[in-house]
Amino acid sequence: MADYVKLEGVAASEGVAVGPALVHVPRELKPERESIFGDAIENELERFRDAVEAVVRELSETAERLRGDGSESEAGIFEAHAEIAEDPEFQTGVEERVRGLESPEVAVISVGEDFAGMFAAMEDEYMAARADDVRDVATQIATELMGGKKIGLETLAEPSVILALNLAPSDTARIPKGMALGFVISEGSRTSHVSIMARSFGIPAVVGVGAALEDALGAEVVAVDGTEGYAIADPDSDTISHFEEKERNAVAEAALLEEYKHVEARTADGRRIEVSANIGSAEEAEVALSWGAEGVGLFRTEFLFMKRTNLPSEEEQYEAYRKVAEAFGEKPVIIRTIDVGGDKDLPGVDQPQEENPFLGWRGIRMCLDVPELFKPQLRAILRAAPYGKLRVMFPMVVDAVELRAAKKILEECREELKKEGAEYGEIEVGVMVETPAAAVRAQDIAPEVSFFSIGTNDLVQYTLAADRGNERLMRLQSADHPAVLDLIGRTCEAAREAGIWVGVCGESAGEFGMIHKLIGLGVTELSMSAPSIPRAKKIVSEL
Amino acid sequence: MVEKEAVIVPEAGLHARPAAQFVKEAKSYRSDIVVIKDSAEANAKSSLRLMTLGAKHGDRVVIRAEGEDQEAAADALVALLSQEEED
Repeated sequence: MADYVKLEGVAASEGVAVGPALVHVPRELKPERESIFGDAIENELERFRDAVEAVVRELSETAERLRGDGSESEAGIFEAHAEIAEDPEFQTGVEERVRGLESPEVAVISVGEDFAGMFAAMEDEYMAARADDVRDVATQIATELMGGKKIGLETLAEPSVILALNLAPSDTARIPKGMALGFVISEGSRTSHVSIMARSFGIPAVVGVGAALEDALGAEVVAVDGTEGYAIADPDSDTISHFEEKERNAVAEAALLEEYKHVEARTADGRRIEVSANIGSAEEAEVALSWGAEGVGLFRTEFLFMKRTNLPSEEEQYEAYRKVAEAFGEKPVIIRTIDVGGDKDLPGVDQPQEENPFLGWRGIRMCLDVPELFKPQLRAILRAAPYGKLRVMFPMVVDAVELRAAKKILEECREELKKEGAEYGEIEVGVMVETPAAAVRAQDIAPEVSFFSIGTNDLVQYTLAADRGNERLMRLQSADHPAVLDLIGRTCEAAREAGIWVGVCGESAGEFGMIHKLIGLGVTELSMSAPSIPRAKKIVSEL
Repeated sequence: MVEKEAVIVPEAGLHARPAAQFVKEAKSYRSDIVVIKDSAEANAKSSLRLMTLGAKHGDRVVIRAEGEDQEAAADALVALLSQEEED
């Protein structure tokens, strides 16, 4: 047995690293004054408010910087911290204690501990993790009050593997870029802040190693495997070379994927497969392009309609569609018309309570009945069309009757725009194949559209009669089922006869085990969440 | 003073993001607003307090508002809790 200490934990962020160990010991806050004099109350309250303001400013600046780097979710953490600092109950708590002649620094820590204690006691991993948030914020305000300079992580000058009991977001944010090779953390889970930050910055991390961390505190060198979930303190030379090899492989893999980002995916027999992105808002367009999206296979438009008290205007929709059309230029963007049912509130539409919203009045069914919902959307799409290459796709279609009705309304919109002398462009029309009916009788629909896009999520749910959200039905939630594959095959067959193409825009397009099956059946476009694109292109290229 | 009942629809309950939205909405009213779950009360303008309620999807809560815009405040907050979060 080799002579080293192995620490087992949770694989929190992929990758491996070997480097000098740095033990981060959080500085113990020792307020110099426990209490204050009565005539100093107003003065101390003023100091407290100033400290809060300074901390909020710093947190907001960090949030902005992270957002600028594209780290949206990390920016959110710091914004949440700023909110805690400004929380009225938190502030009242401190103010009351100061009026009771406690020094503000002691008061801040006590109130922070009170809230942290309440969160920690809740039987919910997520809420328990919020305890650290409150402590982190309280510590920052207290440090500010004591005029202290933060020390430690921000002065790190040698790239190191960082060992700590835990790291607060404010700790990780202070580490200079490139100085953290890896993290080995005693506490925490995959959902802890340190894990989220590590994943976002691509730093290997093992968390939750527990008391074993103590055995590693004296180590000079530490090897981390964030993929397998373990770390080794003072590894021997064999282990180091083994880790270095793993590191090289991981770097090579990442570089390889980087290479695939912007290639056109083609199978070995020369079939061109378009790899596109699913997006849910106009803002996601740029991110999708940066991952190498060759188009948008599914632009969900629900975001325009949710969380508001009235329907979005044609103008507002036009702006959103135009923005995406322009971002993608020559690359095609498929806009799916609104698909909402009784499970979600739609402002301005009188929706009945339904027993089964997924089998109810939704998607194209609702749109055909409510022209004031459907027409502004179609008009907006037609008007945005000259700015790029837009396509429209109707959801929940069951037969050609519905398709014809929808196309008739689209034609009306075109006529209206023409009469008004408005600028508009041509768009291809497709159907989202997600009901078994549309798949079984795809031959009825195919001659009247330019493309099919199979929405595998719903097709699976409707074909296998299995609610997507039901955890007990895990086995019935994949498109990799003969019944579903048969329907996809039929759809492709009908498309071939009609001379149109077929895409897939459900989760299975990004399931790497499914890609070869889908392509084998005749699918020529795959649309998935953007980060999956490089790997999907690589898989296609190896077929 | 008005009191209105709501059943929490968002899957995440009154956790971080939904709580932040809820607090933002609450702060836009002048009324004093509390959320009551079972016998516990929390200031609707404090996300820290709200989160300690541990109100989950499907829980029944009461919104109590008192002030010049109490009706509007209670209605808006009930509506917010009654709608699904955007995905």
